[in-house]
Amino acid sequence: MAKLRIQFENGDPEKIIEFDPAKAPFHHDGKPGSILDVMLGHGVHLEHACGGNCACTTCHVIVRQGFNKLGESSEQEEDMLDKAPGLTPTSRLGCQAVIEDPDAEIVITVPRYTINQVSEAVEE
Amino acid sequence: MTAEPPPAAGAKGATLGARVEKIFDHASDTRSLFLSLAGGKHLRFIPGQFISILIPLGDETRSRPYSIASDPEHRGPFEICFNRVAGGRGVAWMFERRVGDTIDFSGPFGAFTLDRAPEVEAGFIAEGTAIAPIRPMLKRALASSPREGAPPRIHLIHAAPDREHLLYASELGEMAKKASNFSYEPVIAPAEKIYDRLFELAQARWVLSDADRTRQFYICGVGKGVIRLRDLLRGAGYERRAVHYEQW
Repeated sequence: MAKLRIQFENGDPEKIIEFDPAKAPFHHDGKPGSILDVMLGHGVHLEHACGGNCACTTCHVIVRQGFNKLGESSEQEEDMLDKAPGLTPTSRLGCQAVIEDPDAEIVITVPRYTINQVSEAVEE
Repeated sequence: MTAEPPPAAGAKGATLGARVEKIFDHASDTRSLFLSLAGGKHLRFIPGQFISILIPLGDETRSRPYSIASDPEHRGPFEICFNRVAGGRGVAWMFERRVGDTIDFSGPFGAFTLDRAPEVEAGFIAEGTAIAPIRPMLKRALASSPREGAPPRIHLIHAAPDREHLLYASELGEMAKKASNFSYEPVIAPAEKIYDRLFELAQARWVLSDADRTRQFYICGVGKGVIRLRDLLRGAGYERRAVHYEQW
C-alpha cells in the first residue's frame, strides 16, 4: 500500500491516507492517482478551483518526502507552477502529481494561501 | 470596500452568491449568464480570470470553472459564457438556471491574465467560447496606453465552426474599426479542423513571415490543439514566458 501523509500549514490536523494506486481513480477531478484524486477520494479536501485541469494553482502542494516517487511534471504544470506563491524546488500541483509506486511514502504540505485567494475579491 | 478574509488552502474557499440577472443565448448550445452580487457589490478580477461555480450533482457538490467574459470596469452584472458538452452534467445544470436563481461560487481564480496593455506586439488566439477570457483582456489592452508613440499591434484570430459561434463578432469588428492597432481575424472551419487551421494561420503570421521573436501570445481553447500552438510558438524561438495559454 502507498502512503500519503498530509500536513496543513494552517494548523489543521495531519492526515494519513493508505491506498492502492492500482485502484485509481478515487474521485473525478485531477489526473487519476494524483495527490488531488487520492485526497478527494478519501475525504480530505484540497482546493482545485479549475476542477483539477491544470489551469490554476490552488492545488499547489510542497512535497517533503518522496518527490522522486511522483510521476514527472509536464511543461504545462511547470508553466502553471511558475505562478504559484511560495514556490519551492519540490512544489507540485496536486491535480498533476501522480503516485504510481505501490510502496511510495509521500509527505506533503498544503500551503496556507494561494495566489488567487489573497486578493480582495469584492468591493462596494 | 468589503474584504473577504483569505481562507486556508486546507479548508474550503470562501463562497459568494450571485443572482442570475439575465440570460442570453448566442446559439442553441451556447449561453451567457449575467450575474450580480448581493447588495450591489462589485466583483474585482483581472481580465482572463474565472470563477469556480459550485454545482450540486446528486449527493455531492463539484466546482467547475467559468471564465468571466465581461470587463472588470463594467459596474453592472458580470458575464460568463459556456456551451453544452455531450455528457456534461455540470453544464447541463448551468443550462437549467433561470433569471432570479442564485449561484454559489468562489474566486476569482486563474493566472492566465492580462492586466495592462502589452508593451510589444501581441497575438491572441481563441476557439469558440474560449474567446470569453480573451474578450476582457483585449478591452484592457486597448483601453490602457502603454507608452508614448504608436501602441504595439494586437491581432486576434478567433475560430469557430460557423458564424453563430463566432461570439462577440460584431463587437470585436467594431473594436478593430476604432483602434488602429487592433486587427480581428474571424475564421470559420469545420470543428475537427479548427486547430489545424489555427496552427496554419499562426505559423504563417508569426513564424514564417519574419524573424521577429519579441511578440507575446495569449492562447485559449480546448484540448491538445492549445498545446500544439504553444509548442509551435515556443519552438519557433519565442520566449517561454511570452507564450501564455489556458487549456480547457
